[in-house]
Amino acid sequence: MTLKYCLAALFASCLSAQASTLEVHVSTPAGKSVEDAAVVLEPVAGIPPPREARASIAQQDRDFVPYVTIVRTGTAIDFPNRDPLKHHVYSFSSAKRFEIKLYAGKPAQPVIFDKPGEVALGCNIHDWMEAYVLVVNTPYFAKTSLQGRALLADVPPGRYRLRFWHPRQKAEPPAHEIEIGGRPAKLEQVMDVAARVFKPRQPTDAELY
Amino acid sequence: MIFRSLQYRIAIVFVGLLILVMALMLAMVTRSNERIVAAEMTREISAGALVFKRVIEQNRRQLETAATVLSADFAFRDAIATQDQPTIRSVLRNHGARIGAKVMMVINPAGELIADTQRGDAASSSYPVPDLLAVAETQGMSTDFKQMRDGQLYQMVLVPILAPRLIAWVAMGFPVDDRWAVDLSQMTGLTISVVRHDDKSTALLASSLDGARRLALPAELQTLAQDTPKLLSFGDEHFQTLLLPLGKSASVVLQRSLEQAEAPYRSMQNALYSIVMGAIAMFVLGSILFSRRIAGPVNQLAAVAKRIQEGDYAHPVPTLPPDEIGQLAVSLDRMRQGIAEREQKILKLAYEDTLTGLANRVRFLETFDRHPKGTPAAIAVLDLDRFAMINDALGHPIGDRLLGIVGERLANIVAPPGLVARLWGDEFAFLLMGADEAVATRFAELLHATLRAPFALDGQRLDVGGSLGIALCPQDGQDANTLLRRAELAMYLAKRKQIGFVLASGIGGDPPHEHLSLIGEMREALDRLEFVVHYQPKLDPSTGRIKTAEALLRWQHPAKGLLPPLSFIPFAEQTGFIREITPWLLGHVIAQTARWRAEGLIIVPSINISARDLLNPELVEQVRKLTAAHELPPDGICLEITESALMEDPALALEHLNQLAAYGTRISIDDYGSGQASLAYLKTLPVHELKIDQTFIRSVIDSPKDAAIVNSTILLGHALGLKVVAEGAETSADLEWLRNSGCDEVQGYGIARPMPAAELPGWIAAFAWKLHQ
Repeated sequence: MTLKYCLAALFASCLSAQASTLEVHVSTPAGKSVEDAAVVLEPVAGIPPPREARASIAQQDRDFVPYVTIVRTGTAIDFPNRDPLKHHVYSFSSAKRFEIKLYAGKPAQPVIFDKPGEVALGCNIHDWMEAYVLVVNTPYFAKTSLQGRALLADVPPGRYRLRFWHPRQKAEPPAHEIEIGGRPAKLEQVMDVAARVFKPRQPTDAELY
Repeated sequence: MIFRSLQYRIAIVFVGLLILVMALMLAMVTRSNERIVAAEMTREISAGALVFKRVIEQNRRQLETAATVLSADFAFRDAIATQDQPTIRSVLRNHGARIGAKVMMVINPAGELIADTQRGDAASSSYPVPDLLAVAETQGMSTDFKQMRDGQLYQMVLVPILAPRLIAWVAMGFPVDDRWAVDLSQMTGLTISVVRHDDKSTALLASSLDGARRLALPAELQTLAQDTPKLLSFGDEHFQTLLLPLGKSASVVLQRSLEQAEAPYRSMQNALYSIVMGAIAMFVLGSILFSRRIAGPVNQLAAVAKRIQEGDYAHPVPTLPPDEIGQLAVSLDRMRQGIAEREQKILKLAYEDTLTGLANRVRFLETFDRHPKGTPAAIAVLDLDRFAMINDALGHPIGDRLLGIVGERLANIVAPPGLVARLWGDEFAFLLMGADEAVATRFAELLHATLRAPFALDGQRLDVGGSLGIALCPQDGQDANTLLRRAELAMYLAKRKQIGFVLASGIGGDPPHEHLSLIGEMREALDRLEFVVHYQPKLDPSTGRIKTAEALLRWQHPAKGLLPPLSFIPFAEQTGFIREITPWLLGHVIAQTARWRAEGLIIVPSINISARDLLNPELVEQVRKLTAAHELPPDGICLEITESALMEDPALALEHLNQLAAYGTRISIDDYGSGQASLAYLKTLPVHELKIDQTFIRSVIDSPKDAAIVNSTILLGHALGLKVVAEGAETSADLEWLRNSGCDEVQGYGIARPMPAAELPGWIAAFAWKLHQ
């Protein structure tokens, strides 16, 4: 595994003059692709100035959509409620404690995620609803698809610390630094991730009748 | 002794049976109750165990649910998320109190204690029950019974706090204490105790028991295996006990009190005992009363029966209710009357003469024996004269009726305590109390006067006379038999002399002991051959030859010399000894006659036969055998019978005479003319000769009347074809007269005195010789 990083770094350093892309494939030790894994590149040289950014986590069909959201520090996230019932979104995570008490439609104010860290979101009236927000200090991040692939584009060449994160990770893989060069690089990452366990949902009115 | 009485036996049998039945019933009820209780106990304990398990399970779910709800409480989660120790402890206490948890702990996902309601300094120390956590991590939550540091057992529930991912665990402890045990006890109906035991000891953690039993429980449990019910004793109380595991380190003890289970049955049994005791008591009382009702009359009857046994027939049997015993009483009374009647009848038969209704001989003797010893009394014996003739001429029925009316008349002249009895035949006896000689004499005269009036029977007038003999007590004897005999002897004398009556004192000193000695002597005489026979020849006056002789018994008494028959024959007749003398005499005479015949001397001997001999049924056979034995022809001997001998029992006498005559024996009527026998009567008898009484013969020369009687008797005898013999011819004139009168044979001193047998042949030879001269 380390050999692969070395190879990739070698490539990256050779192609550092232009912005490049990093494609990462995350899989479990068993070789199964991991979805919703966050792949984050933090520039070692310094954090680029923050930019105003906005994101949205909807409540739809009594679930959070998407499940995992990665945002840069300072991003305002809207929590539009697309269900015909109210939700009570909360977070007790230290990176961002907040709650939006029972509301319908789109709350007037988005929630600003101003500290890096992971934030677990829940709905106080629907215990099975959960979503995660990873707040990072870099604009270079991506989320793996269903196929376990994440593509980080337009990453300027330079030295980065590569981090992986997943809400059900058993342990966060150790971060390591890589060189992003002019050429696209590909990475394989293995993460031990527990399968998502869906908590029992309460049936809707329609489902009952 | 008392138990032999009918009354108690009845009561005991009934009560005993009742007790037996009741005991069996009680035993069965008790046994069945024991079985029911045992089954009930087993059922209750297993049902209780089931309920207990369900309740514990339900309890666990409830606690888990409650804990889950609590852990999902937003404010609670919010507070936990603050990480602020005082806040967390405070919210733990607050929310723990909501669901009754005594212990609340928060543990971080790493297994470190964040907060503990029991301890302020708990943060970062390790969680005390890691095994619970391990289970919860795989199963989402976990519950178990745990003993905590304070020694108290808790039901611990560990649930996650999700926000929405796991941010912490919250552990809630619910104390397992006595209240818990009591609650469960109420639900299961069993006694609940919780113990913790290790290898060495058993500690009681909680119990619904109290007091001594609570203290005694751990020790008792040492022997108990899990899941197997067992009966344990606590003093007098018994518990069906079941041990179930409670968590990993504790056990719960379920118990059911045997006594409590038995209680309803016990009270039923006690009620039953009361009923049984009551029933037995009532039964005892009832059966005693009942048996008394039975036994009472039975005892009464027993008393009556005892009286009857003692001969008291006078008391009638009491009247009893008409049940079986009443019928028995009636029967007993009939029996009493029957016995009384029969006894009367038997007494009558025993003491009464059926023909006359007078007393009989037995009664007579007994009555005499009852009279005071030594006081004067007289016994008179009456024998009717000529009764035999009447009986013979008119028949026995008339004779019997005559005896009846004579008896009636005789009864009238004797006043009690005097007594008249019929001894036998025509012989009556009188007992005259206090009578002396003068009184007795007057009585004799009265008696004769009474009999003098004729008796009327079927229009016939019958003259009845009688001869009376009187014996006086104490002069003539002390006892009835002696007196009777002496009176009879006197009566015989009176009869012979025809003088009405004779006093026993008048017949000479012949005291009873002399009689007895005489009998004894006679017997000895017979053995010693002191009796001898003398023969007095009879002469046929027409031929002058001797063909017959009278055999006369003599007693050659060693002291008294030669005794004539009259001095002992009457006693021999009276005592019955004649029965021994006569056969001897017959045998002796027949043997002598046979010897003479063998010598060529043919003599026909006449042998005197008494009345007793004639009535002896063996006489004919004796004669027959003796003559046959000595090869003597039947007419080789002649039997002489007096008229009076014929009179005693004419019918039997005639029968025997006929038999003798049929055999061929010659029969002669002795002392003819002294009695009342008429020729008409004699005509009916099978006799061959008449022997005219010597009183007539002695005076044929001097008294023309006697001569006429003798003459006419000879003529009549001949007319009847009888040989006529004259007795007592003393002179040659007598002999001559008799020869002229045609008398067939003559006997007397004028011819020869009686002589010993040895002398007779010589005398006959000499006589013949004289005649031929």
